[in-house]
Amino acid sequence: MRKISVGIGQIITRLGDIQGNRERILKFIEEGKKKNVDVIVFPELSTLGFGSGDIYLDKVNENLQLVEELVEISNDLKPYLIVGFVDRDERGFFYNAAAIIGKGKILGVHRKVQLVNYRLFDEKRYFAPGSSVNVFDTPWGKTGILICEDVWFPEPARILAFRGAEIIFVLSASPFDRGKPEVWEAFLKSRIYDNILPMVMVNQAGIQDGVTYWGGSMVFDAAGNLTHKAELLNQQFLVAEINLDLSRVLRRRDIRLRETRMEILEELLKAYREMQK
Amino acid sequence: MINIKLKNDELELYRKIIVNSIRARIDKIHARGGVVALSGGIDSSLVAVLAKEALGENVLALIMPEEGVSPDSDTNHAIKIVKKFDIPHKIIPINGAIDWFFDIFPEKELSKREVKLALANVKPKIRMIINYLHANLENRIVIGTTNKTELLLGYGTKYGDLAADIYPIADLYKTQVWQLAEHVGIPTEIVRKKPTAGLWKGQTDEEELGHTYQEIDKILYTLVELEFSVKEASEYLGMKEEAIEDIFRRVKMSEHKRKTPTITRLSRMCLDKDWRYPVERY
Repeated sequence: MRKISVGIGQIITRLGDIQGNRERILKFIEEGKKKNVDVIVFPELSTLGFGSGDIYLDKVNENLQLVEELVEISNDLKPYLIVGFVDRDERGFFYNAAAIIGKGKILGVHRKVQLVNYRLFDEKRYFAPGSSVNVFDTPWGKTGILICEDVWFPEPARILAFRGAEIIFVLSASPFDRGKPEVWEAFLKSRIYDNILPMVMVNQAGIQDGVTYWGGSMVFDAAGNLTHKAELLNQQFLVAEINLDLSRVLRRRDIRLRETRMEILEELLKAYREMQK
Repeated sequence: MINIKLKNDELELYRKIIVNSIRARIDKIHARGGVVALSGGIDSSLVAVLAKEALGENVLALIMPEEGVSPDSDTNHAIKIVKKFDIPHKIIPINGAIDWFFDIFPEKELSKREVKLALANVKPKIRMIINYLHANLENRIVIGTTNKTELLLGYGTKYGDLAADIYPIADLYKTQVWQLAEHVGIPTEIVRKKPTAGLWKGQTDEEELGHTYQEIDKILYTLVELEFSVKEASEYLGMKEEAIEDIFRRVKMSEHKRKTPTITRLSRMCLDKDWRYPVERY
């Protein structure tokens, strides 16, 4: 059985507290080394922190330096790292992004495609959206990364499934409000029932300006069973072993993914264009 | 669907979140602790207990009765709370300070209703001064005790009891405050008694507002959480449109109590509009 050992780095992060975030990331990298995991996953924007405020704009350089430092550290590290950070392109646009880092290199970067601008969220004030959803080749197989709101839409996970992802990591910084953890569980399960692959959601913990990031990171197998759940509210390092073969076993008889029809996808695009008019 | 009532696991989670939020502010600004004005009513009792849970010995409850006006039962309840939960406290009657304000007004003006209300509002402001005196002297924050129902209705004194650094229970409706208070072990007699702002003798909130808190919470929940219009809420709740309109008017009129003072914008970096930074800023 092919499996992967995932270290869930449910850390407390705070917006602008790059030193504090760095210390908590490094501490959990040590944990991951001790537990001999294959990959350690941190939450959305774990370097710069998530929240609402113009501080995003002020500390992008420091955040990029921390990413460089993590790339350096990964030279002598068995576990790969998946870290949320603020990316910047040559035009000076910022992106809410996540990098997969290993053996002294950045294997790939995903830029959040579905920015959130409703309720307390204000991401479009700061970030440009990503426009592609790719899988990355890793020692354990093709891997997809999504960021938070990306998984509240069916398309990004679907694209990853079409592109052969064997596992999807979802980095999030989800603010608590009543019933939110249950809603998240439902969304993740929906994506898994659609696509039949395992998913790991790593959520931020901690509180800032009265907004609580509820933690409660979740691991699901390809059948949609919730196999691991981290504590609510608290910082925690959790190890999960995930079976990477189950998806293939299930897809022998559950053939819905390959039954997706071109005509219907085209119809979907047509309907969307009509809606836009 | 009206879903105000919290389940047991939600109450426990809310308790932890509130405790964490108090601690987060204290830790961030390296304050020594917090001060809570404790009337013996349900809101301040709950906040005092949760602040004790968050800060231990570093919370200070200030019991500030207006002797002869604040019911003795309230002061006794406040004392009961600090004893039961072992909360450091001080008792400071405010009569002397109130008398000074009354002395500077000519007798005949005092009969006017507006003056009566304005002077009634002096009392929470005196308590505010005593709160902040302790905060400044001892490097503490002032922990506010308002709840979502009060804050939506504007049922609080601006720069008086509403003056605070954090509002840990202001996203809870009054009836949810009752639930959480019971959950953390506040004695039933305090949870069940008639709420009063204590501005004059014999005042009760429900009489002044014209509805029970159960009714008010249902109306507010329907307008705010379910986002129904007054007409829709009236049909949904089977209540008169005027009653709902009356509540909604209070909500609209009191927006200023939920905001910092409006700045006239002249630059591209207006501090309440363009400039956005967290208070817990790193």
